[in-house]
Amino acid sequence: MNIFVCVKQVPDDYVEVHLNPTTGTPDVEGIDQVNNAFDTYAVEMAVRAVEAHGGSVTVAAIGPEKCQNGLKNLIAVGANKAVLLSDPALLDLDEAATASALASLIAKCEADQGESFDLIFCGKESTDEISAQVGAMLSETLKAPFVSSVVEVEPVEGGVKAKQETESGYAVYEMALPAVLTVAKPAYDPRYPTIKSKMAARKATIPMLTAADAGAVKQDNRVTCLGYSEPAKRQAGVRIQEKEAADAVAKAVAMMAEAKAI
Amino acid sequence: MAYIISEDAKELLKDAKEFCQNEIVEQAKQYDITGEWPREIYEKAIEMQLHMMDIPEEYGGLGLSHIDQAAIVEQIAWADAGVAVTLNGNGLALKPVLVAGNEEQKQKCCDIIANGGWGAFALTEPDAGCDAANGKTTAVREGDEYVLNGRKCFITNASVADFFVVTAMTNRTIGTHGMSAFLVYKGTPGLSVGRHENKMGVRCSTTSDLVLDNVRIPVENRLGEEGTGFATAMKTLDLARTWCAVIGVGLAQRCIDEAAAYSKQRVQFGKPICRHQSIEFKLADMEIRTEASRQLCAHAITLADMGMPFSKESAAAKCFSGDSVVQTALDAVQILGGYGYSREYPVEKLLRDAKIFQIFEGTNEIQRMVVGRAVIGKL
Repeated sequence: MNIFVCVKQVPDDYVEVHLNPTTGTPDVEGIDQVNNAFDTYAVEMAVRAVEAHGGSVTVAAIGPEKCQNGLKNLIAVGANKAVLLSDPALLDLDEAATASALASLIAKCEADQGESFDLIFCGKESTDEISAQVGAMLSETLKAPFVSSVVEVEPVEGGVKAKQETESGYAVYEMALPAVLTVAKPAYDPRYPTIKSKMAARKATIPMLTAADAGAVKQDNRVTCLGYSEPAKRQAGVRIQEKEAADAVAKAVAMMAEAKAI
Repeated sequence: MAYIISEDAKELLKDAKEFCQNEIVEQAKQYDITGEWPREIYEKAIEMQLHMMDIPEEYGGLGLSHIDQAAIVEQIAWADAGVAVTLNGNGLALKPVLVAGNEEQKQKCCDIIANGGWGAFALTEPDAGCDAANGKTTAVREGDEYVLNGRKCFITNASVADFFVVTAMTNRTIGTHGMSAFLVYKGTPGLSVGRHENKMGVRCSTTSDLVLDNVRIPVENRLGEEGTGFATAMKTLDLARTWCAVIGVGLAQRCIDEAAAYSKQRVQFGKPICRHQSIEFKLADMEIRTEASRQLCAHAITLADMGMPFSKESAAAKCFSGDSVVQTALDAVQILGGYGYSREYPVEKLLRDAKIFQIFEGTNEIQRMVVGRAVIGKL
């Protein structure tokens, strides 16, 4: 099973991000770029599938040269190959333009390796912009079946079976290959790299392709972000400072009644 | 400040930090209460190969520089000193094999550890602690075998070890020159693990007696020549002391971080207590002491890497780091005040963990003897 995993580098989501008051955009200066968490789940799912059934995992990103670091980290946890599409023309793409560029990159990788991918994985969304659209648009571009929020995948006769997480439970689909799946949090965590695999991966060379190398034609953005606003700040709570517990409870009940909460 | 490490090691350190945050920091609290050996933590650490950083590259090791290794060990100790002590126990057991063993012995012990096994170094006895040469454990040669009898105590990892390096007297009439070192493998008849210590701190590490009752081992299990056991043990401790100091530094850094975080949110007399000079200066002293310890470690490691004498520097690092971490943990408890004394907050554990750093791998009194004698030289 040959699996292609699309990976986005995002600001480390352990860090709280605020808007830059001058530019009005998220101030991510100085925040480490890491692989999007859902993409790391997709890589782990792909690596497990390949360990069980054979094949290879290719990880790919679009972005500046420094994205190589994130891709190396994925080689350390089992990805077999990595490729970076890096071109100043491909900055700040909207979802459709990203999907178009990824489709070109996939075609280029398939041509180079002489065989096509059976599955294309994306994380179900990125933790920075959270639009959750690239996977679906990529499947449309590739004219391939699509299932979102997948937590399990296994090969079946003529294709794969994918278990989708829904708001009320799970749905199970079967589909022919190639297919595009977006991956939610499975029952397992991504593995930690071993020291040896990490040190070997650090020495790996990640091929960097320009848009021209990949045959990608920049598609104009059709969606424009007009602006960002911070979530409303939580209002300060009310302190109940009665000395006796009974008085405090009575006051709390009175306040809730006044607010028509009870 | 921190060790100056390679770009590759910075990436490894990020992984180690993530591992520590996810798998050790919270989990260790419960194990500290129960005293149970946290097998699940170690199984995950083994998967990451954090247990085999002491294996040389030529025997299948990882090829980390010692300074890079120190930064990772410090990070693990930051999360839990007992976990670091356990993982370091493998290094302690490997060192005498690497110092005195033949190729076959070295490869065998490295393979045991690389495959997820554990080693233990068994020198101390009930009546022979600092005075290690006064050991009562004997090894009597009978044909192609040695018969070992005696009792070792305070042996880190004894209850889980797959191999032991045991020192025993092959000739009791000639003092230190009568001591030899042997490899004894788990499951050898007559070898058993005795009482487990219910320790004050570093409770994620296991410490037990080791009993040798007519343990017969082949002659080829001897490490080096007869009579070289004491020298092997001393060379082992020379190296091990620095690692002990490195662990102390990680623990001290945790004390600083916990105390600094608390001091920023605890308000008294209308301002965070870190704005009171009494607390600010205490934090400054904690930092100065810890950084000085760290640089003593770095210097000892650098000398060892360069093949230069480092006994004195290693002893100085261990002694200073051990004394420092105890004072730094005391300061952390003081900064947290009543909360520092409460088990609801993390720093009382740090103080209990800290005390052992003045005691194990040679008490700080012994370290001062090593340093003092190096200063005085021959009279």
